[in-house]
Amino acid sequence: MARTIETVAEELRIPSPAAQLRKRVFGHYGLVFGLCALAIVVALAVFAPLLTPHDPYAQDLMGRMKPPFWMAGSDPSHLLGTDYLGRDYLARLLYGARISLAIGLFAALISGLIGTAMGVAAGYFGGRVDLVVTFLINVRLAMPVVLVALAVVAILGGSLQVVVCVLGLLLWDRFAVVMRSSVLQVRDLEYVNAARAIGCSTRRIILREIMPNVVNNLIVVATLEMAHAILLEAALSFLGLGVQPPTPSWGLMISEGKQMMLFEPWLIAIPGVALFVLVLAINLLGDGLRDVTAPENRG
Amino acid sequence: MLMFTLKRLGLAILVTFTVSLLSFSLLFMAGDPASAIAGENATATDIEAIRALYGFDRPFLVQYADWLFGALSGDFGQSYYFKMPVSTLIAERLSTTMLLGVCGISFALLTAIPLGVAAAMRPNSLIDRTALFLSVMGQAMPSFWFGLVLIVVFSIQLGWLPPSGSSTWRHFIMPTVVLGYYAMPAIMRLTRAGMLEVLNADYIRTARAKGASETRVMFKHALRNAVVPVVSLAAVQMGFMLGGSIVVESIFALHGAGYLAWESIGRNDLPTVQALILIFSLFYIVFTFLSDLVNAWLDPRIRVG
Amino acid sequence: MKTRLLMSSVALAVVMTAGSALADKANDTLNAAFTKELESVDSYFNSAREGVILQRSIWDGLLYLNQATGEYEGNLATSWTWVDDTTLELKLREGVTFHNGEEFDADDVVYTVEFVSKPENGVVTQRNVNWMKGAEKVDKYTVRIFTNGPFPAALEYLAGPVSIYPNEYYAEAGPAGMALKPVGTGPYRVESVEPGKRFVLKKYEGYHGGPKGMASIGTVDIRTIPDINTQLAELFSGGLDFIWGVPADQAEKLALMDRLTVVNESTMRIGYLELDAAGRSGADNPMTNKLVRQAINHAIDRQTIIDSLLKGASKVVDAACFPTQFGCEQDVAAYEFDPEKAKALLAEAGYPDGFSVDFYAYRDRSYAEAMLSYLANVGIKANLKYLQYSALRDLRHKGETSMSFQTWGSYSINDASAITSQFFKHGAEDFARDDEVLAWLDIADTSVDPEVRKENYSKALKKIADEAYWVPLFSYNANYVFTKEADFTPTPDEVVRFFHVRWN
Repeated sequence: MARTIETVAEELRIPSPAAQLRKRVFGHYGLVFGLCALAIVVALAVFAPLLTPHDPYAQDLMGRMKPPFWMAGSDPSHLLGTDYLGRDYLARLLYGARISLAIGLFAALISGLIGTAMGVAAGYFGGRVDLVVTFLINVRLAMPVVLVALAVVAILGGSLQVVVCVLGLLLWDRFAVVMRSSVLQVRDLEYVNAARAIGCSTRRIILREIMPNVVNNLIVVATLEMAHAILLEAALSFLGLGVQPPTPSWGLMISEGKQMMLFEPWLIAIPGVALFVLVLAINLLGDGLRDVTAPENRG
Repeated sequence: MLMFTLKRLGLAILVTFTVSLLSFSLLFMAGDPASAIAGENATATDIEAIRALYGFDRPFLVQYADWLFGALSGDFGQSYYFKMPVSTLIAERLSTTMLLGVCGISFALLTAIPLGVAAAMRPNSLIDRTALFLSVMGQAMPSFWFGLVLIVVFSIQLGWLPPSGSSTWRHFIMPTVVLGYYAMPAIMRLTRAGMLEVLNADYIRTARAKGASETRVMFKHALRNAVVPVVSLAAVQMGFMLGGSIVVESIFALHGAGYLAWESIGRNDLPTVQALILIFSLFYIVFTFLSDLVNAWLDPRIRVG
Repeated sequence: MKTRLLMSSVALAVVMTAGSALADKANDTLNAAFTKELESVDSYFNSAREGVILQRSIWDGLLYLNQATGEYEGNLATSWTWVDDTTLELKLREGVTFHNGEEFDADDVVYTVEFVSKPENGVVTQRNVNWMKGAEKVDKYTVRIFTNGPFPAALEYLAGPVSIYPNEYYAEAGPAGMALKPVGTGPYRVESVEPGKRFVLKKYEGYHGGPKGMASIGTVDIRTIPDINTQLAELFSGGLDFIWGVPADQAEKLALMDRLTVVNESTMRIGYLELDAAGRSGADNPMTNKLVRQAINHAIDRQTIIDSLLKGASKVVDAACFPTQFGCEQDVAAYEFDPEKAKALLAEAGYPDGFSVDFYAYRDRSYAEAMLSYLANVGIKANLKYLQYSALRDLRHKGETSMSFQTWGSYSINDASAITSQFFKHGAEDFARDDEVLAWLDIADTSVDPEVRKENYSKALKKIADEAYWVPLFSYNANYVFTKEADFTPTPDEVVRFFHVRWN
């Protein structure tokens, strides 16, 4: 048998880059936990109709606030009990996962598009473009987010679309900052200069040469902003200006449950724990990705 | 240095103008507030009269210019709701919010820096893990939830602290913890990262090699250098916190500027909302301006760049 | 999280059984809470329930409505007569002094009436005062008030929102000064005001002995606490003794606690759906069809909504007014809950598969959501648009809402003119625009003969019900929760009279 490079490496006990990455990923408990928890939430959201026979909008005014399974007097057909209008809490939680995930995802997508475009342009072109973008970032950072979001939602009326757009338009700053500095780091590297020298178009250089090298940073920011958007939506709902009922978002469920929190704490605890786990998972995932892609930052 | 200061000052002023223009046009789009001012029992004629009285029928730029010149001289107009000067109204409430902000940021710094340093000294130790856990919790836990839980435990169950109000220092303990916990994770992470970086730097190794005691190395050399970016982050966080204290103020019935802003949005009290957005922005702008100056003073390379 | 959950349950158990001994009977202070920030204590410059509550304690009207008998009694006036249809002459009480020592006489009444009745002085709720043309002093203790045309409800207003201010002080201090240092003749004087935040009332030892009676509790300390959970936490830990407006579900739980009294009383507020029968939002909208409006009336199970959500003293209402109001005819067409009939009516109207409509609301989201579900059951797909009150009112004034969930508290005026006439006289908030109804209401509102008024209100209300212009839903109720050490009997006008609260 010919001794392949792999077996040499094996003998020298140097893992291949892929194996190294795998080891880093799976050796990182936070990342693993975040990934699993997020996967579970996504699965619950996607398969909601299979997991519960109940319609999240169907009311039963005579069967309001039935307790969940671990409490006395629970109803086996409503595992997590019912809410203040007698709607099945499990069904609302599952369908609500769709809404909360969608809010996070689309808000991060919108802000990601805006922020990345601005950050990349600033970093790549520098000069005036950079000045303008830096100025816009400054303006955006100076605006109190919660206050402005509240004002806009109050004006336009709360609905899923409005909330997603408002959050998307307000949370692009970190994308812009991170993308700008990442692009600054790579724009004068040799291979970029080489691409420029052989006459590649700007578009091609940005898309083919620069983006692949900064995309890991982009993903990290995107996860963190997704978590941020989900939490902000919950805060808006708490203040009475989130998505429009009867849409079951977790933020809305918490704000509805808040009314009775001193007497029926499970009403706020169930969506609260769900929200906590989701945000925790996304944050851990983001942190983990950062650690894994930039190993020197690991402790 | 003077050139740099002037440039930054110019930028800060430009940002302030842009923010004020943006927020003014934003609220202008909301339609006119005559109906809200008129109250629940008003008739259509009442509302018409109010519209003319307050000048809501004038063009946008006229209204903006009017407001801006007033604002420059510290006159933010009359609150539609309280029928008193906005500046008086805000001055009184702002002190509560600022006190809360200062307490919150102090709490955050006092917990985050020691934790961050300890975590950086022994990476992956129990204390590092605990610090990380606390910071991850802080990021994922909505502050209204945390606040209500504190009330249940410390006011209702233990009876140690008053649930609401602002008359004594004891009233500020729970709001401080909730607000401070919100800012803590970022500061702790930055301290930890900064310390790790500094501890690997050559001069620390030199100091160690020369036989300086570990405590001396830590505090005389490492912390001093690691803490600079932390202070500028704290300045930024403080700006955010003042704007973000709405939820905390509403739960603990603190009647600060954040709560006033939220209520004023609901009441369509435009002069108040307008002034508060501007003031919160100004806090941020002033804090970052100052920290820019401090950084430039500490690190001459920035001045040139 | 789980431990927290456990802890809070434990906390609750502790509260339920033990209870604190902090209540302030010992130092004669009643700690109460407002939910809303009050814009101004000057009763002519706020439109909030909180303002009315302070007004009744701090100031006096010329008359007083005895809640138990429903009769008008003299307050700052001792007797009154109609000289003609538009002139009311009143004899004033002698020996009354304001909290600042100023003497009360005809000059105060004339000054107050002249000031508030002028629109340019900007009294917030014009309807409370714009029926008065002016006043004239006859002698030191006799005044005449002139009305703009016959106004049968005048006594109701003089016993309610029209309170008498000290002329010398008000001329000098104005509404801004009055808001910070209020001065009246009522059973409580104001010790301190922190605008929007805190109000401290002290018993007025020099009270004139009018029908309100001397206050019993020495100090009333009112703080604004916006969050209901925080209010409850304060109540549990002894920081508050008295709260009201507690939602039904919480009140039910609080009633189980040893140291608290929960009292439920009906209020004059009723809820209704406003349907665009006049076609203001579009001539082709389904609400212009009487059969559709009747179908909607049949579709909603009002009794179940009351039993499960409003609870307490709430009742189904069928007429477009609160049952105790003068002229509120009860013998009108009632629409029982019958979804099958609703579907049949919809089919007959040409909507066998129902239709889609925007459903506007500004408060009580849970009631609105319950109604959405009932409407969905008969095939009407209603999309909830939940707006702030002022935003919704703007839309209604522009005639852009074909269906909205409204409530009206009649400003606690016990007369049908305060509600039916408000909404069916072709104003901006009239979506029926029925000329016949308008004519009847005009007669009823201006006649001084009670029988004529009754007859015409009756005709109007019967037609409103027959045509199903509204879906009258239910009357509201309020829960008052206070420490067992205090005693209080609420009234349907939803005004908390602190001078009637006493220690046990």
